[in-house]
Amino acid sequence: MRIWVLFFILLLSVQAEDTLLLNSHIKMIPKIMALDTRLSAKSSSNKSILAIVYEGNRKNVAQKIADEINLNHNGKVANLSFSTVALSVDEVLVRQDISFTYLTKMSTSSTRKIAAWGINNTIPTFSYDMSNLEEGILGSIAIERSTVIYMNKTVLKEGKFRFNDTLFQIARLIE
Amino acid sequence: MNRFKNARLSTKLFFSLVITFLIIFATITFVTFVIVRDLTMNTQKEKAALLIDAVEPSISLSLFLGIKDMGDKLSSITRLDEVIALKISDNNGKNLLDYQQYTTSSPYESIKISKNLMEPSSLKPIGSITLTYSGEEFNKTMNRFYTLYGWIALSVFGILWLMLIWINRLLSPIKMIARKVRNFKPGEKITFDIPYAQREFTQIIHAFRVMQQSVWEYSQEIETINKNLEIKIAEQTHEATRHLYYDNLTTLPNRLKLQEDLSTKQSNTVAILNIDDFKEINDFFGIDAGDWLLSQIAHWLVEMKLSPYRLGGDEFAFRLKQGSTSAEFRHNIEMLLSLLSEKLFMISEETVHVRATVGIAIDSDKPLIHADVALNKARSAKQPYSVYDQSEGIEQQYQANIAMSARIRQALVEHRIVCQYQPIVSCSSGKIEKFETLVRIKNEDDSLIAPNDFLPIAQKTKLYHHITQEVVYQACNLFAARHEQFSVNLSGSDILDSRTVSTIENILRQTGTADRIIFEILESEGIDNFDEVASFISRMKALGAKIAIDDFGTGYSNFENILKLNVDILKIDGSLIKSIDENPRHRIVVEAIVDFAQRIGIDTVAEFVSSEEILQNVTDLGITYAQGFHTGKPQFLNQQLM
Repeated sequence: MRIWVLFFILLLSVQAEDTLLLNSHIKMIPKIMALDTRLSAKSSSNKSILAIVYEGNRKNVAQKIADEINLNHNGKVANLSFSTVALSVDEVLVRQDISFTYLTKMSTSSTRKIAAWGINNTIPTFSYDMSNLEEGILGSIAIERSTVIYMNKTVLKEGKFRFNDTLFQIARLIE
Repeated sequence: MNRFKNARLSTKLFFSLVITFLIIFATITFVTFVIVRDLTMNTQKEKAALLIDAVEPSISLSLFLGIKDMGDKLSSITRLDEVIALKISDNNGKNLLDYQQYTTSSPYESIKISKNLMEPSSLKPIGSITLTYSGEEFNKTMNRFYTLYGWIALSVFGILWLMLIWINRLLSPIKMIARKVRNFKPGEKITFDIPYAQREFTQIIHAFRVMQQSVWEYSQEIETINKNLEIKIAEQTHEATRHLYYDNLTTLPNRLKLQEDLSTKQSNTVAILNIDDFKEINDFFGIDAGDWLLSQIAHWLVEMKLSPYRLGGDEFAFRLKQGSTSAEFRHNIEMLLSLLSEKLFMISEETVHVRATVGIAIDSDKPLIHADVALNKARSAKQPYSVYDQSEGIEQQYQANIAMSARIRQALVEHRIVCQYQPIVSCSSGKIEKFETLVRIKNEDDSLIAPNDFLPIAQKTKLYHHITQEVVYQACNLFAARHEQFSVNLSGSDILDSRTVSTIENILRQTGTADRIIFEILESEGIDNFDEVASFISRMKALGAKIAIDDFGTGYSNFENILKLNVDILKIDGSLIKSIDENPRHRIVVEAIVDFAQRIGIDTVAEFVSSEEILQNVTDLGITYAQGFHTGKPQFLNQQLM
């Protein structure tokens, strides 16, 4: 009975993310990671690590997203080999091998921590929630008339992020 | 090509310039067209490529990221009129976007450009974009180029045309000079009125004027020389004509003039006058005196108003004058001969009588020939003149002689000269001891031609020696196998002909018949050519041959010559023998001959013994041999002994 309740809660929590948007993120986040031109310098191994960051009890959601990404991309986008892992905020902050982070729904304080950590370590931080760009997160993806990538121009400068130029041709930079 | 070679300078220049210009212009046009076309096309392609380049990164990224916002991204270029179509497909060929401009089909050629869409990070192809760009701008640009180039071409051709007009104007003095000089003849004067000319033309005209003056002076000189030459040629021609038609000695017209006069004038009546015994006058008084006499005769004939011609040597000719009759002409000739016989001519203070013989041809188709025939007839007949009579057949006789000459020649070639042999019988024994060789011509039908019919002609045509050599050859070869003696007749010309004598000697040596052959020579030959005949007799007797004098007793028989010539036999002429029993005078002559022969110890032969009575008579007279139809007719012999 507890299991069913947990599953239901998880399902609800997962369902809390927009499935269409999430699917879009699952498909695009690894590819945006591949556009990071400093990616090779961030990882000591052959594989880059895409961290799906969660807070509190949302590990399952993060893990589910990580699994979906692995399933969709099979650990490879273009020339990039990567592995997707679900990590808590604290775990992320101490890890040195993270190449890219994707934030699930979390509190503003955790969001700010991760954003600051990302700026300091030049680790791109993308968030499910576009409003997190105001908290210092680098980018997010929204579905409007078509899919739109938003990026925080200030964070781009502060974090000295370098992406393939073409990304900036389609991304909407906001202050 | 030859037409071009012979064309005028200005035409050549015109065509050369036009052709060169056309080649250069066509080349430049072609090159310019290619460059402009390629540049324009490349510009349009670059424009299209720029459009693609402008959207390609974002499209690539959208395709890479799977963002379906290509329509929005491409709206910036699809709204351009030049973009006719745009197509985006992925690597699998799946159409991701297919834009087609909503317009009717464009009349212009379109430009299609494709480009791969690359994955932004790995730069691997992930799709392609194909842009179809309108060719309208290209065509408009090319049309502008054509219009501009057309104007340029028009301007250039205009300039060329002006250039040609200018060149033509520059060359017009040359054309004018050439036109005037074309029919220039030495002696003419040409003036050149050129209002405007280059310095070179002025120099040419000046040089031509100088040359023209020189030519004019030379032509004057040549004309003078020509006139002098013409006068000299006329004199020479006159002199040559005089030499051709007039006799130098007498200044009378010559045979050629007579022939021309006869051919151009109607008269065909001619008389030829021959001075009798003129050779004797020449021999006696000398050739110069003879020429002087001929001049006097010519002068006298002119005085007689007979319009004489000198045919050559001692022959003169007269033509019947117009208006005279043949009878008058004949009468005039008779008068002339009569007056000539009375006329005295002077040679070196000596008076000379001249006689002449005349041959006349009246209304003859061959007046000169017929007059000559008549002259020969008159001389033969010892008449003062003779008129040609066609009925006498003299000309036919000439034709017959010619035909016989040809037959003799043919007979010699075809070996139809044959010999018959007449026996000569010993009067004492009645046996045949000798034969006389008698020549015949065998006709193709085996009939025989008697020697009297062909030997006189053979003597005149130089064929006689060939006949003699043939007879000697046949007789010697025949009697080489027999034992009798045989005789062969030789003429004086045979004896005088060294080749014939040499041939006879060779035949005698080859056949071994020299000791049995008897050469019969006419008594007259020994008188006329005594030394040559004596030499021949010596040579033949040295070989062993005997010599007989033929027809002895008819002429002026000279016993002294007989003694000198050392002959072996006297053949008494048949005219004495055949009437010996009737004519006592003949008998006396024959007795004298026989007596003479017996006294000098030589044999005698009686010819024409045609009866027993004659044979008895000649036997009684002591003649050694008899020959005639009674003792044996001429016959063919073979090599077997009789």
